[in-house]
Amino acid sequence: MIEYHLVAEPPLAGTDISIGGVRLAAQTEISIVSIALPLEQETEATAALEAAYKLALPESGHSIVASDGARVVRTALDQAFILLPEIQHSPERMVSEKLLETVYTTDQTDVWAALTLEGSGAVAVLERVCPLDLDPSLFPKNAAARTMMEHLGVLIIRTDDAAFLLLSASSSAASFLHMLKTSMVNVA
Amino acid sequence: MNQINRISGGQIDRSRQIKFRFNGKWMRGHPGDTLASALMANGQQLVGRSFKYHRPRGIFTAGPEEPNALVELRSKAHQEPNTRATMVELYENLWATSQNHKGSLEFDLLAINDWFSPFLSAGFYYKTFMWPRSFWERIYEPVIRAAAGLGSLSMEEDPDAYDKGFLHCDILVIGSGPAGLMAALTAARSGARVILADEDFQMGGRLNSETYEIDGYPAAEWVAKTLEDFAGMDNVRIMKRTSVYGTYDHGIYGALERKTDHLAETNGAPRHVLWRIYSKRAILAAGATERPIAFADNDRPGIMLSGAVRSYVNRFGVTPGQEVAVFTNNDDGWRTARDLINKGVHVPAIIDSRDIAPRQKLPGTRIFMGQAVNATIGRKGLKAIGLTNEQVISCDALAVSGGWNPNVHLTCHQRGRPVWREDIHAFVPGKELPVGMSVAGATNGVLTLGASLQDGAQVAKNVLEDIGKAPVDIAIPQAEDEASDGQAFWHVKNDKKRAWLDLQNDVTVKDVKIANAEGFRSVELLKRYTTLGMATDQGKTSNIAGLAILAEEAGKTIPEVGTTIFRPPYTPVPIGAFAGRSRGKVFRPFRITPSHDWAAKNGASFVEVGNWLRAEWYARPGEKGWRDSVDREARMTRQSVGICDVTTLGKIDIQGRDAGAFLDKVYSNTFSTLPVGKVRYGLMLREDGICYDDGTTARMGERHYVMTTTTANAVLVYRRLEFARQCLWPNMDVHLISTTDGWAQFAVAGPKARDLLRKVVDVEHDLSNEAFPFMACGHVTVCNGMPARLFRISFSGELAFEIAVPSRYGNSMISVLMNAGEEFGAVPYGIEALGVMRIEKGHCTGNELNGQTTAHAIGAGKMVSQKKECIGNVLSQRAALTDENSERLVGLQPVEKDKDLIAGSHFITKGDTVNIANDQGWMTSVAYSPNLGHSVGLGFIKRGHERMGEIIRAVSPIHETEMDVEIVSPHFIDAEGTRLRD
Repeated sequence: MIEYHLVAEPPLAGTDISIGGVRLAAQTEISIVSIALPLEQETEATAALEAAYKLALPESGHSIVASDGARVVRTALDQAFILLPEIQHSPERMVSEKLLETVYTTDQTDVWAALTLEGSGAVAVLERVCPLDLDPSLFPKNAAARTMMEHLGVLIIRTDDAAFLLLSASSSAASFLHMLKTSMVNVA
Repeated sequence: MNQINRISGGQIDRSRQIKFRFNGKWMRGHPGDTLASALMANGQQLVGRSFKYHRPRGIFTAGPEEPNALVELRSKAHQEPNTRATMVELYENLWATSQNHKGSLEFDLLAINDWFSPFLSAGFYYKTFMWPRSFWERIYEPVIRAAAGLGSLSMEEDPDAYDKGFLHCDILVIGSGPAGLMAALTAARSGARVILADEDFQMGGRLNSETYEIDGYPAAEWVAKTLEDFAGMDNVRIMKRTSVYGTYDHGIYGALERKTDHLAETNGAPRHVLWRIYSKRAILAAGATERPIAFADNDRPGIMLSGAVRSYVNRFGVTPGQEVAVFTNNDDGWRTARDLINKGVHVPAIIDSRDIAPRQKLPGTRIFMGQAVNATIGRKGLKAIGLTNEQVISCDALAVSGGWNPNVHLTCHQRGRPVWREDIHAFVPGKELPVGMSVAGATNGVLTLGASLQDGAQVAKNVLEDIGKAPVDIAIPQAEDEASDGQAFWHVKNDKKRAWLDLQNDVTVKDVKIANAEGFRSVELLKRYTTLGMATDQGKTSNIAGLAILAEEAGKTIPEVGTTIFRPPYTPVPIGAFAGRSRGKVFRPFRITPSHDWAAKNGASFVEVGNWLRAEWYARPGEKGWRDSVDREARMTRQSVGICDVTTLGKIDIQGRDAGAFLDKVYSNTFSTLPVGKVRYGLMLREDGICYDDGTTARMGERHYVMTTTTANAVLVYRRLEFARQCLWPNMDVHLISTTDGWAQFAVAGPKARDLLRKVVDVEHDLSNEAFPFMACGHVTVCNGMPARLFRISFSGELAFEIAVPSRYGNSMISVLMNAGEEFGAVPYGIEALGVMRIEKGHCTGNELNGQTTAHAIGAGKMVSQKKECIGNVLSQRAALTDENSERLVGLQPVEKDKDLIAGSHFITKGDTVNIANDQGWMTSVAYSPNLGHSVGLGFIKRGHERMGEIIRAVSPIHETEMDVEIVSPHFIDAEGTRLRD
C-alpha cells in the first residue's frame, strides 16, 4: 500500500465567468478519447461505432451526440474524438472495449482544456478571435472545426444555437482563458 | 469664443453643447460636429503650419482627404499626432493642439523657411547635402530631422486597448452614399449577407452634404429612412466609423472600426477594432474626391474645396466665412454658390474659368466667366482675391472646384491601373480589378445622383446573379441628375508666385516643372523627387493635378503620362491597431508544465523555451546566486536523487500495423525490431543527411509506440511525421496524435532513484534491475491504482527513470515525489542543472544538433543504417559528410583548471595565426562541473576522436579571450555507463 495519493487539478477548474450576458465556464467533467480508423479496415470500425453508439461516423467538420451523451467529433479523415460526458478512470480502455478493439485509441482527456461559451453574445465574442464563419447556415448546431485563435489551436463545436464547446491545449490553458475573457470584456 | 460662423440648419444637435479646447482655448460645438466644423463655427481659420515652409494653413476639406488641418489630439500618453480634424467627431472636453510650429501657431519662428523658399524647392536636399560626406549622418541628418515632420509623439507607451476580429459576408459594400446604399439595399432585400461599411460617423456619404431630394424627401431623410429598413434585417451589418483600408487576396478586406474615438470616456474598451472581412464579393462605392485648381498663393487659410463648403453649410450648419467667393471650372461650383446664398451667406463673386454663358443668375453675386483667380491676400486668413482680369474681390473665404476624381484607391491594391476618361477629365478604375470586386457610383465615374442610385442597384443585381442569388427588383428612387459639365483646367499660370499642388508636402507647380526639367519625368520619379502625394493624405487632392501639369510640361496627354497607383492603407491605420491585443505579457500564448505552481512556490525562476516556461533552478535561502543553486542541484542528484519536470518534451502517440516500419523510415536507426517494453534512442536526419532531431521512442505495445522529441522541435517533428505518413507513405497503416500535454513527466535521477520510486509506484510492479533494466518501459500504476507510464532512461548518466502521470495529477505528483524523496535528500532540479549533467555525460542537445552537424560528427555514424531506406540516409553518405578529417564531438577541459571555458570559442592549433583558414572547430556547450570541480565543455574539432590528450587553444575574438584546453572524451562522468545500468 502506497502512503501517497494523487489529487486531480485540471486546468481552469472552477472557471465560471459571466460578462454582458455571455457565460464562460470550465468543463472539467469530460473525458476525451481519440480513435483512429485502421487503414482498409474502416468498415469494421464504423460498424462497431454504429453498434456501440447507435450513430454513423459523422463527416469531417461535424459531430453527433449519442443517446448516452457521448459526442463523436470527426476531426480528420481517419480520426475522431469521442467526448464522454464525465470523468472516467480509464476512458481509453472503455472506448476500446466498446468498439471491440476495431480502432486505435488514445486518451486525450488531459491533453485539452475545455470551456463552454454560452449566451446570445457568444458569436460576437468569438468574432474577435475566431477566423471561421459561424453563421448558423454554415456552422449549425453540432458543427465542429479545428482552427487557430490568437495563435492557439482550438477545436470548436457548436453545441446549441448560442452555445459552443471549445477545446485547446491544456498547457496553454491560461492563455486560452485569457483570450476568451478578453473578448468578452471587449464586446461587453 | 462665440460660434460666429454658425448658421441655420444642418444635422447637428443644437439642443446640446459640447465644450472643447484648441491650443488651450475653450470653444463650443454641438453633437454631430467634427473638430473641423466646430473650429470653423468658432471662427478659427488658422489651424496649422505647412510641412516645409511653415506657411499658415486652414481647413481645406471636409473628409479623409484633408491635407492641412492636422492636429495633435488628446494629451500625455494618449496624444495622437497628425489627426485629421475633418474626421474627428467632437466630444466633451476634446483636447487638440496645432502642430509643426516653433513658438505659437500665430508666430511660428520656422516661418523663416518661407523666405528661403527659392532654395528649398524639389531636390534641395539631394543637391545640397552632398559634401563633406562625413557631415551627413552627424550634422545634416539630425538637423533636418529635428526640423522636419509634422506632429510629435508622446514617447510614452500607448495606454489604449486595441482588438482585432473576423467578419464574413456575401457582399461587402464599401461606402454608404447613394450608390452604396442602393447596392446594399438591393443585396439585402435579395437575402444576401451584407456588410455596409462607411468611415463617417453618419451614414449617407455626400447625401448628408447636399440639398438633393430623393423620392420627394430631403436626401438626408431618405438616408435615415433607408437605414431604418436595414434595422429590421438580420442579414445586414451596418458599420459606421469603419474605414475599409485595404484589399487583399481571396476577397479579404482590412477594415478599421473606430469604437471609442468619439467618446470622452472609454472605460478601457478597445479604441479600435481591426477587422479582417472575408467577402464573396465586394462593391466599391467609395465616391469621389474633389480636386482644387492651382493658382498663386492658393494655400491661404479660408481657401477650401467647394464641395467641402457645401458639407459645412448643409450638414454642419456652419460657414467658412461671411463673404465666400467661388472659383470653379465646372457646374458644381455654382451649386456651392446657390447653397451659400440660400443659407443667407453673401457670395461676392463667382469666377468660372469657362468662357461660356453664366449657368444661372445669382442675386448680389458678381459673375466672371472665362476668368480665374490669380492672386490672394491675407497671410493668416484670406482677405481678398485678385483675378486674371485684375479685379480684386474682398472675401474671407474662397470655395474652389476643379472637378471630381473617383476614389479608385482600393481598385489599385492588387496592381489594378486606373484608366483616363476624357469626358469627366478623371481616372476611373481599369478593367483589372481585385478578384470579386465591382465598382458602383461616383467611383465608377457615375457622377450624378439619379444615375448613381441606378448604378448601385444594377451593380448589386449583377453581383447577386454572379453568386447564384436571385436579385429582387426594387424601385429606383426618383432623383434628378444635376448639371455636371466641366473643363480640364488645372492651374492658373503665374511665373512669379508659387501655386500649391500638394498642400501637405508643400509641393508647388514650380516643383513639378523642375522635376520635368531635370529629367524626373516618370510619374513614379515625380512622386519621389518632389514628395508629391506622400504622407497621411497620400495625395488625394493633389496627384491628378500634379500629373496633369507634368503632362503639360512634357507636351504629352495625361493618359500618356499615366498615374501612380495606390497601396494599402487607404487612410492611416495606427500601429496599435495592427498589434491588437498582442502586447506585453500576452504578446503570445505561453505554456506551463503541471508542476509550474509548485515550482514557483519552491523558489524556481523560469526561462522561456519556445512557448514553454521552464524552471531554470530552484533557489534556496542563503544561496548567493544561480551558480549556488545549480551546483547544489547537480551535486545532490549525483549523490542521491534529483527530480526534474520534463513534461515539455514532445510526445507523439504512434499506432498502426505499420508503426514500426514507419519509424524505420523516419529514424536513421531501426525500431521495428524493438521489443515491446523497451525504449531506444533514435536519431532523425533531414533529407540532406544532417541531424534533425533526437529522442527516445518506447514500444508500449505490438502496434503502439510513444515517441519523444526535443522540446523545441516537438511541433516540427509532428508535422514532419504527418507529411511522411500522408504524402510519402500513404499506404502505411500509421496514425499519429500528440499527447505532449496529456502527461506530466518527471525525470527521477540519481543513485537513490529506484528507492524513491518504490515508495510511489504500486508494489506489484517490480523495479529491480533484472525486472526493469536500463531502457525498459511499461504501463504501471502509482499511488494506489493511478495509471502511469514508466521509462528507464537517463539523460544525466545516473540511474534514472522517467515517470509520467495524467497531467491533471502533475502538481500533486511533484509533491508526492518530493515527500517520498525527503529521506534521501531529494532535490528538484531545473534545466540548468540538467544541462550541467548532460554536458558531464557528453549528451547532445540543440547546441550540438544545430543544423550543421552530422551523425558522423556526433559519433553516431553507425546509427545510420544502410540496410534500410530512411529519410536522409542516402545523402548522409556524401563524402564530405563522412570525411575522417571532419569535425567530431569531443570533451574539453581547461589546462588551468580555475579558468572558465567560453562557449563559441574556436580551436586554433598552438603556434598558428588566428584566422578562418586555421579554424579547427568550435566549442558548443560549457558548464562548471560541481562534481569535477572545474569547467567542462563539448565541442567539435577536426579528427577529434584521434586527438585525445592534445592541448589546443580556445580563442574567442568576441570576448577577447584565449586559453589552452585539453581534448578529452566527451564522457566526463562514468564513461563506461555503469551507473545508468545499475
